[in-house]
Parts: sequence; structure tokens; C-alpha cells
Amino acid sequence: MVKKSNFVIGLTGNPNVGKSTLFNALTGVRQHVGNWPGKTVEKKEGLFNFKDKKIKIVDLPGSYSLTAYTEEEAITSDFILEEKPNIIIQIIDAQNLVRNLFMTIQLMELGKPLVIALNMVDLLEKKKVSIDTKKLSKLLDVPVVVIKAREQKGIDELINTAIKISKRKRASGIKLSYGIETNDELQKIQEFIKVEEKISPFRLGWLSLKLLEDDLRIKQELTKKPYCFELKKQLQESVNHLQNIYNKDINTILTDARYGFIKGLEKEVISKRIEDKKKSFTEKFDDIAMNKFLGIPLFFTVMFFVFQLTFRLSAPIMEWIEKIFGMFSETVSTFLIYWGAPGWLISFLTDAVIGGVGGVLTFVPLIGILFLLIALMEDVGYMSRVAYIMDKFMHKIGLHGKAFIPLILGFGCNVPGIMATRILENKKDRLLTILISPFISCGARLPVYALFTGVFFAKHQGLIIFSIYMLGILMAIIAGFIFKKFMFKKLSSPFVIELPSYRMPTMKGVVIHVWEKVWSFVRKAGTVILFFSIIIWVLASFPVGVEYASSESVIGTIGQAVSPVFRPLGFDNWQSSVALLFGFVAKEVVVGTFGTLYGTVDIGNSVGVSLSDALQNDFSPLSAYAFMVFVLLYVPCVAVLAVVKKETNSWKWPLFLASYTTIIAWVVAFIVYQGGRILGFG
Amino acid sequence: MKSIAEFKKGEKIKITCVQCGKNFSRRISELGLFDGSEIEIVKNDNFCPVIIKIFDSQIALGQGEALKIYGKKI
Repeated sequence: MVKKSNFVIGLTGNPNVGKSTLFNALTGVRQHVGNWPGKTVEKKEGLFNFKDKKIKIVDLPGSYSLTAYTEEEAITSDFILEEKPNIIIQIIDAQNLVRNLFMTIQLMELGKPLVIALNMVDLLEKKKVSIDTKKLSKLLDVPVVVIKAREQKGIDELINTAIKISKRKRASGIKLSYGIETNDELQKIQEFIKVEEKISPFRLGWLSLKLLEDDLRIKQELTKKPYCFELKKQLQESVNHLQNIYNKDINTILTDARYGFIKGLEKEVISKRIEDKKKSFTEKFDDIAMNKFLGIPLFFTVMFFVFQLTFRLSAPIMEWIEKIFGMFSETVSTFLIYWGAPGWLISFLTDAVIGGVGGVLTFVPLIGILFLLIALMEDVGYMSRVAYIMDKFMHKIGLHGKAFIPLILGFGCNVPGIMATRILENKKDRLLTILISPFISCGARLPVYALFTGVFFAKHQGLIIFSIYMLGILMAIIAGFIFKKFMFKKLSSPFVIELPSYRMPTMKGVVIHVWEKVWSFVRKAGTVILFFSIIIWVLASFPVGVEYASSESVIGTIGQAVSPVFRPLGFDNWQSSVALLFGFVAKEVVVGTFGTLYGTVDIGNSVGVSLSDALQNDFSPLSAYAFMVFVLLYVPCVAVLAVVKKETNSWKWPLFLASYTTIIAWVVAFIVYQGGRILGFG
Repeated sequence: MKSIAEFKKGEKIKITCVQCGKNFSRRISELGLFDGSEIEIVKNDNFCPVIIKIFDSQIALGQGEALKIYGKKI
């Protein structure tokens, strides 16, 4: 946790204005990342020292406005109103002054002391546009400090100003006029609230404005008041009156007024010299990246390299980690034997604890490298283009264009795929993507297919594996359709996304981002994975004295008990049931379990003759296929469930996920096996 | 008056009517897209989302949404 501080800054701003860059520049690695209480939106806090002060800075979620219509926006205004930071810093992209100032106006209305950090002035000047910051500051009556977040320039002055200005009672002395008619109505509303409250005229103004805007939170607050009923009547009258006069929706009237003020301001402070007709780099690259025909092939090429790079680079590191843990576990067991420790203790420490920790850590290089590349794509600005080109297709299964990225990551490993759903802004989009992503066949399932196709379909191995992958994609699409139809009827969030200019990523930001991801995985998912590894170990080793995972062990007994469930699917031998139970820890463990259970030693290098024979005794080609289908679709591994728990902030969704996937797996494998028999493949 | 999905690249439009749901209208109005504002079509291939320029930023808008926003050429 962040230690005590005596000065709190809330950092806010539109998306893509350099907010994270400034935050990282201020705090470095002294950050604390968590979720906002009860929300799935990330909360970042950091500490830094400035002169004699220890300053806490809270990174508020990037948003375009302060109304309470998205989770992010509500968080920002809640924070400002309830946690009472000493000062708000709004970072503004000078190239996009008008849109950014919209939020400034709302912050001014809210009234907490405010400093504007004007970023990217140099980029604006490159476009032959100049900005009069002194005038801007004067017209808004808010201090404006020019900074270069990327080069960490102007930051000391920013913090100095922030501390100085925090004594101010209000953000600005300017009182915005919303038009004569609107002001009159605001006045009428104020009369009601004024009756018994002892509130400042400023807060009164803000309350009346929020009420006119139909801000749900403020409305709720006032329902307790005795004048609530009459106030409601007055509100309705005011809204009707204004909408009649302007022939516009009430929000449009207010937005129009705010933008009117801003546009006037822009004319005063911005001077455009010559319009540059040359195509910028962004425009040139977008001609390809967002082309109807070239966009998708380009994206697939990029993804191909991302995958190649990830797996090529992480495979040796993963092997290395496995080796180290193998050696470590051997050393430990040698020592323990030397000291005369009981067999169960040795097995517990090596198989459950060291094996479990090793299992968690082998994921680290994979997640680290994948997220490094994804963060680069996001930082450069390419991700929003991907969302753009994939939107048409993804929309058909009720998803946002951006959801394609987590899904495709799932082919490598579902864990980073699910973690990457954070790029989706809409909560329901995220949930839907999380729910269908386990059907995407991850890398860990491949060894299972390799084993079975090697034994049963040696001639058509590639084709059979391909069909399994396609089945997974098909199931994800079908599940998407069904969820959209029945569970999230109204979600399909409208597609609106900003396309920022391309820019160089900041290495510091990317590294911090990757570190956060990896660390939060190890901390949160790691404990769950370890916990389940230990449970499985206990089940496989008890009652005392049985051979590990043999038919007499608890897990063997469970395997025998549940195996009849799989009889209609064609595989009712207890070994495959136990293998499936072990597959819950990690899907590739299924292969190793068969090796252990059928008593073969080296299955890693080549399929042992005896294992192949044993499998052929217990499976037919058809039941082997049904088994692969079941492995593809059934309960995702513990690591996936752990990240789902972490991302959805409740146990409800991982439990739902585990049960519905297993039911679907059973049904589909049943159809495959029984259908195959009817068609004469049995 | 036609929907902005029917305009072509380079055309400058004054928005006359936004017929989206309340929340979505609010959302895009905050971006500067509302009854009375002026925008420019940056790209419209009638397939992928429409890209429009509002003030100095480029915003992509789904075809379905673009069909519900009307305007006239300036």
C-alpha cells in the first residue's frame, strides 16, 4: 500500500493525451495498482517526493467527460467529490484543444482547484499552429503549464503551480453562461434547493446544473428531501420549456452552450498560419492499415510475427525455468532422503509446492513477452485501427472490434487473452469476450492432440488437429451468438472510437505496464494455481501408502466413480477420467498423466510403444476424437479460472464458465461419438 | 438531409439531427458530435466504420450508428 502523504493530486484527462506518460514520469516504479473498490476499472496510485512534501498522485481513468454514464466517468467525479484531492491536474493535448477543454469546463463547474498541463505543444507548432497559453490561462482563469511529458520537461513547474494553487477555493472565477433561457431555468431550480440548505452559491449552481442534466446520482441524493416532489415537477417543466424553445434535447442545449464558449476561446488563443496540404505519416500509413482489402492481411501478418516472436523467445526461457525447478526439486529430494524425511513429505514438497510454483513461473516469460508486444501495438496507436478493421465481422457475434485481439491471443494461451480484455472499455463486452475465449484452443492443448492423432490418425494428423481448432472457433462464435441473444440482449455497444495519430512508444511506460501485468499474474493467479496444485496432490497421494495417482488413491477412486459419465462419449476407462481431472491444473498435464497411469516412462520425446498400445486398447479412433473434442471444450485450466476471477472480481463468473463449458463439452463430444457411430465410424 | 453514412470523403457536414439512444447521443455529443456541430468525412467505404473529423481528432463511428445521424452538406 501507498504510505501516508500530506498532499493528494488527482490526474485526469482524455484518452491518448499522455496521461500515463506523465504519471510514470512523476512516480517511476513507485506505483500501486489495484481496482477501484467494487469495480473492474484499474486504479493506479503513486508516491513521489517534492521538496518537503510527500505527494500522492491518483491516476483517474481516461474519459472524455464527467457525466456518470460510463464506469470510468463516474469514478472520476466520485473521486473528486468524495475523496477530496488537494488539486486536480488535467492533462490536455494541445493539438486537440477544443475537445479537451470540454472536460475542463466540466471540471470548472465541479469547482475543485485545477491546473492544466498543456502537453504536445511542440507537435502543434510543427503543424504551423501557435497557441497563446497566457491568454488561455487568463480567459479560463485556470493556471496553464506547458509540459513535455515524454521528455519530462516542465514537470517541476507543474507541481509547484499545483501546490501553490491548491489553496484556492475554486477552480476558476469564471461563471459560464448557458444562455438567458437556460440561466433562468437554473435559477428556478436553485430556488427549491436554497430553501433549507446552507450551501454556497457556487455549489448551488452546480447542483442545479446537474439536476437539469438529469444526473442520476444527484437526483438520488435529493430524493430524501421534503421538496423532492415539487422539485421534480419544476425540473420536468424546465426541461420541457427549454426543449420547446430550442427544439433540441436538453443535453444538446448544454453541450452546445459549453462548446460555444470553448470555440470562442479557441479563436482567441489559436492562430493557424498556413494549412499544410502534405499528407502526414499517419495519413499515409492509414491508407494501408485501414484499407478495406489490405487492412486485414496486414493485421494478420503483424499477429503472425507477434506469435512467432513470443513463442520463439519464451520457449527457451520456459524450458530453462522448468529445468531449474527440476534440478531444484531433485536437490531437495536428495537432501530430504539423506535426512530421512518421510516419502509423502518429499512428494509434497517436490510435486505439489515446487512443481506448483514452477508451473506458475513458466507462464511468466510467455505473458511478459506477449504483453510487451501488445503494449507496443497499443502505444503506437495501431490497436484502434485493428478495432476499426475487425468491427464489421466482430459485430456479427455481438462484440466490439477490439475484442478480436484477446481472442486471437487465446490461441497462444487463454490467460494473457483474458487479461487483454482490459482493452475493452465496456464491461459487458469484456465479460462476453471472457466467456467465449476458453473455446479458443490454447497451446497447452496441442500436446494432447499430438498424442492422440499420433496414435490414431497418423496419416491425417494435420487435418485432424486443424478440425479441432476450427471446432473451437466455431463454438466460440456460436456461444457468442447465444450469449448475445439471451444474456446480454442490449449490450452490443455502439462503435465509436478515437483514432489517435501514430507516435513513438515510451519505453518506460511499456516496461512499467508489462511489469504490472506479470506481477499481478504471479501474485493473484499464482496463489490460486498453487492452491489447486496442492489439492490435486493431496487427492492423488491419499490414503497414505498408495502409489501416486494409482487406482487406489482418492483421485483414482473419483476417476472410477465418474468414468461412467463418459461412457456415452466412448471413453469410460478410469485412467482417462483421472487424466481429465489432472487436466484441470493445466491441459498439457493430461498427456503426462496418461504416461504415469499406463506406466510408461518417457512420453516427452516420442510416444512410447506401450502407451500407444495401451491407448489403442482403451480407445477407438472415434472415441479418441471425442476425447480430443472434450479436452478442447471442457473446463478451462485453473490459471484461466484464476484470471477470470481476478478480472471479473467475483467467483460467480469462473464458476459459471467452468460449468457451462463442461456441459457443452459433454454434449458436443456425445454428438460426435454417437453421431459417428450412426454414420458407421465406430 | 441524409445520414452521414451516405456522404463521401472530404465532404463537410453540418449535423441536423441525431437519432441515437439517449446515452449514446450523450456520449458522442461530448466528443463534439451533436445537433448543430460541423464535421468532415475523412473516410467512408460503406463497409468499415465511417471516419469523421471533429475539431482536430479523428473518430471512427460504426455504419449502424452513422445511419442514425443526419446532416447537410455545407
